[in-house]
Amino acid sequence: MSSPKKITKKELRQVFWRSFALQGAFNYERMQNLGYAYAMIPVIKKLYDKHDDQVKALNRHLEIFNTTPAISTTIMGISAAMEEQNANDPSFDSNSINAVKASLMGPLAGIGDSLFWGTFRIIAAGVGISLATEGNIFGPLLFLILFNIPHLFIRIAGLRLGYQVGVNSLERIQKEGLMEKIMSITTTIGLVVVGGMVATMLKLTTPLEFDIKGAKVVLQDILDQILPNMLPLIATFVVYGLMKRKVSITKLTLGIIVVGILLHWIGLL
Amino acid sequence: MVAQAIMLGIIAGIGILDSRIFGVLMLERPLVIGLLVGLVLGDVQQGVIIGAQLELIWMGIAGIGAATPPDVVTGGVLGTAFAILTNQGPEVALVLAVPIAVLAQSLGVLVRIINTYFMHKADKYAVKADFRGVTLMMWIPPVLFFLSVFIPTFFAIILGADQVKNLIEAVPETILGGLKVAGNLLPAVGFALLLDMLFSKKMGVYFFLGFLAASFLGLNITAIALFGACIAIIVNIVINNNNNQGNGQNVNYNNLTQGEIDFE
Repeated sequence: MSSPKKITKKELRQVFWRSFALQGAFNYERMQNLGYAYAMIPVIKKLYDKHDDQVKALNRHLEIFNTTPAISTTIMGISAAMEEQNANDPSFDSNSINAVKASLMGPLAGIGDSLFWGTFRIIAAGVGISLATEGNIFGPLLFLILFNIPHLFIRIAGLRLGYQVGVNSLERIQKEGLMEKIMSITTTIGLVVVGGMVATMLKLTTPLEFDIKGAKVVLQDILDQILPNMLPLIATFVVYGLMKRKVSITKLTLGIIVVGILLHWIGLL
Repeated sequence: MVAQAIMLGIIAGIGILDSRIFGVLMLERPLVIGLLVGLVLGDVQQGVIIGAQLELIWMGIAGIGAATPPDVVTGGVLGTAFAILTNQGPEVALVLAVPIAVLAQSLGVLVRIINTYFMHKADKYAVKADFRGVTLMMWIPPVLFFLSVFIPTFFAIILGADQVKNLIEAVPETILGGLKVAGNLLPAVGFALLLDMLFSKKMGVYFFLGFLAASFLGLNITAIALFGACIAIIVNIVINNNNNQGNGQNVNYNNLTQGEIDFE
């Protein structure tokens, strides 16, 4: 019997770079499957010499796959560790490789989406937009940097964690409640920032004025005394309420353009 | 004009490939697209300002799950470019970008349908353990994605700039003012989409915390994000741990600090 097959840093580095192209061949039938198989090719080549084994491994990773791209490397690392086990242990059940992939991609996508799209992107965009509205080119640059530091860190750390600690560690982290804690922290920050953005970036004021016994009353001043940025807050929750009632985004967007023109025409906004 | 149209087409191509082969580095976002379009058309400041405004509107739109979102890349490139080329402000960019994004989305859907063909071809190569074949099938679809935005962007700039200018000049002043109001209102859609993802009865109070901190205290977004992070850590870690120690459930916490999980 030959010496045990082992994945080296070289293959992991190749998986890392290939992971960026995960959605390159995105399709509706099996989604990110081709990108996933493409990322796993260095591992498959390293571990399997026999034609049949290579075919089986390729087919395994051409099965349906879909998760948050930034978090995909964690699952790739776990797949690599399991493939390694499979290559060395004839009694290893190769079906478990895809079973683990399928069981992880949903929950990890949930975490990844709220972490990356709901939090990191929002914080980075919030800071970037606040500079960019003044025409400052550091706005877009800061946006890219603030988002991609945690993004690239999780791509690298996730791949290592997935490969070195394997599938059991993720279960354990989940049992410890660490995932829930991270989710809770990031959702909190995300919400605080969105609240701040509604107040600072949604610019709605009314030009309405009344004449009461010769004294000019500016409606916006009264609103500001009650609650500054009251109109942006109301507008956001009206749209949110409509969204909850399943009004489509396209209809909402076009509706707002029409409503905006009308409200301006009658002098309300 | 042709050179500019080619460069704008390439910007759109890079933008659409960001979430395909660049691992979603956020190059696709209007904020970045606006900067690049501004660079090509020689008005960086206006490009950045328009990009920021488009980002506000489309902030809630992200490719989550299997759904294909409106094509903010083509919408962003053309909206920003037309606004700069016709010397108009962000409101014109918005009104052009929104419908363009919805139209361009259909091309993205088409490519994803065509990709199924290459996926089945890849299956056939896999049976022969032909790694090169699988790799080739993986790299043809990105070319299609690139062309699906390059071609429309190129021709829209070449053929459309004058028409758009005439169109905008024909629009009465009241409507343009109204469009500005609409442009200010549209970010509400982005915020509502974010709330849809984050808001719950239990967590809702944090939204108002951020809102009030900005409204009454005048804090900027960076300050709000940092204070938010502190509060999140206090609530989720400090208080939680005190509770655990109080009723003797500190086992989990100790496990973590004892380094049982090896992150290296």
